[in-house]
Amino acid sequence: MATTTATITLSSADLLSDNLSLSATTTLNKGGTTGTGLDQFRMERFKIATGTQFDLIEATTAASEDANYVYICNKNTDATHYVIISIYDVVIGRLYAGDWMFMPWDSDVVAVGAGGSAIEVQAYVAEAELEYCLFHNGETKLTSDDS
Amino acid sequence: MATTTATITLSSSDITDNALSISNTATLTTAGTDTGITETTGLARVKTSSGSNTLLLDFGLTGGVAQDVTADKSAKVYIKNVNDRGDGTKYVDILIKTREIGRLYGGDWMLIPYSGGSGEDIEYTASDTTETTLEYVVFYE
Repeated sequence: MATTTATITLSSADLLSDNLSLSATTTLNKGGTTGTGLDQFRMERFKIATGTQFDLIEATTAASEDANYVYICNKNTDATHYVIISIYDVVIGRLYAGDWMFMPWDSDVVAVGAGGSAIEVQAYVAEAELEYCLFHNGETKLTSDDS
Repeated sequence: MATTTATITLSSSDITDNALSISNTATLTTAGTDTGITETTGLARVKTSSGSNTLLLDFGLTGGVAQDVTADKSAKVYIKNVNDRGDGTKYVDILIKTREIGRLYGGDWMLIPYSGGSGEDIEYTASDTTETTLEYVVFYE
């Protein structure tokens, strides 16, 4: 097992009449365990053109009904550039240039016929450069992809 | 305008042969601008002992905060499952428009952009009827 932590700090000195300072840390553990860390992940940096909704992470039974975590960052720098992040056809939100997101993900392949749970992304205004990281449990490759 | 930042650090010394360390800071701005977001719910806490779908953010609400979140802008939602991890079997499903996003186990947090729109509510479903406590903040325009 591995020990991986995710920490967030939200802060502002002038959004409210007093300082906003919020911090949280979680350890990325496998579902159904008291403290066994996720030990598999993948990471990628790539570019997508505008006009097409791409599968960022395809649904897989290996990641179903378990603890998986996804980090996505829009590396563009022009404030008007954004990508829309969706779970299949349900829009989560717009990730503008410089924004990042971190969320749990349950890859429910059972629901494919009803929409599925692939994480999809589409760029608007301009080509987008993205980074993502998926921490997951169980993707043991048993057969070759072209078999 | 206000300046609000969200910083993430992902780190592990043993998930790969070499240490993993990812850190990024985003400044929360209004859509398509460098102007800081100026509206927030502040930090809020809710509890549930229901194992059924429960509304966290009702976009169609005729009053209250959800009404003020403009659709298709630059809102961000932070949610944390405040419960202890326990035996690791208890979690909260987070949903948008009844579509499951994922499971927040005890201590887990998430920060996502939120487009909102008709019917695009954020809901949660606890895995059992044990009292579950969530904290959340919405930053919006």
